[in-house]
Amino acid sequence: MSLEKIIVNIDPDLEELIPGFLENRIKDIEILKNAAGQGDLAALKSVGHSLKGVGGGYGFAKITELGAGIEASAIINDMERINQLISDLTDYLQSIEVKYQ
Amino acid sequence: METDTEKKLNSNYRILVVDDDQEILTLLTNWLTREGFNISTAMSGEQALAEITGNSPNLVITDLYMNGMSGMQLLTAIHSDNPLFPVIMLSGQAQIQDAIKATHLGCSAFLTKPIDQTELVSQVRQVLRITKDSKAGDGFARNVLYRSKQMVELLELAETVADSNVTVFISGATGTGKEVIAKAIHEGSSRCNHPFIAVNCGAIPEHLLESELFGHEKGAFTGANTRHEGLFMAANGGTLFLDEIGDMPLNLQVKLLRVLQDLEVRPVGSTKSYPIDVRIISATHKDLEKSVNEGEFRVDLFYRLKVIPLHMPALAERSEDIPLLADYYLQQYANRNNKQLKHFAPAAVEYLMSSIWPGNIRQLINVVDLCATLCKTNVIPLNLVKKALQDRPQQIKTLREVKQECEKNYLVSVLRISTGNVANAAKIAGRNRTEFYKLLGQHDLDPADYR
Repeated sequence: MSLEKIIVNIDPDLEELIPGFLENRIKDIEILKNAAGQGDLAALKSVGHSLKGVGGGYGFAKITELGAGIEASAIINDMERINQLISDLTDYLQSIEVKYQ
Repeated sequence: METDTEKKLNSNYRILVVDDDQEILTLLTNWLTREGFNISTAMSGEQALAEITGNSPNLVITDLYMNGMSGMQLLTAIHSDNPLFPVIMLSGQAQIQDAIKATHLGCSAFLTKPIDQTELVSQVRQVLRITKDSKAGDGFARNVLYRSKQMVELLELAETVADSNVTVFISGATGTGKEVIAKAIHEGSSRCNHPFIAVNCGAIPEHLLESELFGHEKGAFTGANTRHEGLFMAANGGTLFLDEIGDMPLNLQVKLLRVLQDLEVRPVGSTKSYPIDVRIISATHKDLEKSVNEGEFRVDLFYRLKVIPLHMPALAERSEDIPLLADYYLQQYANRNNKQLKHFAPAAVEYLMSSIWPGNIRQLINVVDLCATLCKTNVIPLNLVKKALQDRPQQIKTLREVKQECEKNYLVSVLRISTGNVANAAKIAGRNRTEFYKLLGQHDLDPADYR
């Protein structure tokens, strides 16, 4: 089933930075999946923290929200929740359509 | 969005951004560069310290939690050298204890991630004492740099009266920029394509001032070999700025009053009068009301000139304009001498802002030029500013001195009102005669001088 498109409006002055930013998030998903597979809570917390800090600034408030969730869940060792959030992040990144306006 | 002028002003400020997350560095660089600021980055506290030593930024923005040296340790290290250096702390954790600790350590602002662009830029401006509404390059008074409330109010009034023929009187201490405002009023008026002529009434000998202002006919007096049209005629259609009007001799005050009433001048030695269309703006550093009370200035002329009074604030009263002005004069110095632009260290700016400036803007220009000349590096340090200001020692008075001065002025007023009658003066002052005599003795005042 294809995911519904999510339009994200981004400041045109950031246009050059966004492709690289989104590529890094794809890499983050791999890191998160590996860390989850190994139960590496420190890595999960660190990447979650980083996503939380960086997402909203670039215009992706949802990434900040999911990152904060991953960080908080890593602190309390809630792997089920972490896997759900990684899945949500994957879906989100696949669904977004960026408009520079 | 910033205007080009604001961006140009912002380009005088260098900001070092420190974060171990490259994407945060890229984002903040993007935001702040768009505002015109000069940005450098460091990915660790250690790298930041090296950068500070080499490039002397005006502000450091640092993340709190980093690998190696933390933002808090970086703040402490920076402040061990310069406790006033501005640092903005960023944190991914909105923990109140971190904010309290950072503030206690002297951090200028504490922002939590994700950082909001508007909030960051606003904090940067606040910390660097730049305000969005700093005026420069606007239509009216485009040569005047200011952002202080006093100047905003003054220039609003000046702009309102500019495009009229109303007579303006500008008071204010020496070096506050009275002529600059006079010129701005002229340039903002319909007379702007006609001459603006400034004359310092205190700088021209009395016997020459009359012919300088009103002109003279050939042979009007010894040495008058040619006809001279005078400044009123030369300024016809435009504006005549009579600076230091308080120094104008009484006999010329009568003649000036007549010109203002009749709108015509009669040159020395002439039997003929010539109509003139000149707007008068006058100025003085003196308390002209006092001069009127003391009979040194004609009351009728005083009211004729003082239709719209404007008061130029002293530089110390508009200290928030000092960073803007200091940067501007550094830029002027660099342009004039074809030298690299220098900057004041933050502590030096603080010192400039807290100084008294008896010579006002003129003194500030001298201090800026002196510092720019003597400073071997790109950043002018606090000790050099202190040295430059030593030529004019700080003239802040002690409370006792101020009280003494106030008391003396009061006694003089009372003596003047009572025309030197000690019994009456003592009654007005609510003291008995013995006490009053004692006070007069303390201030070396003689009632006979007021009879």
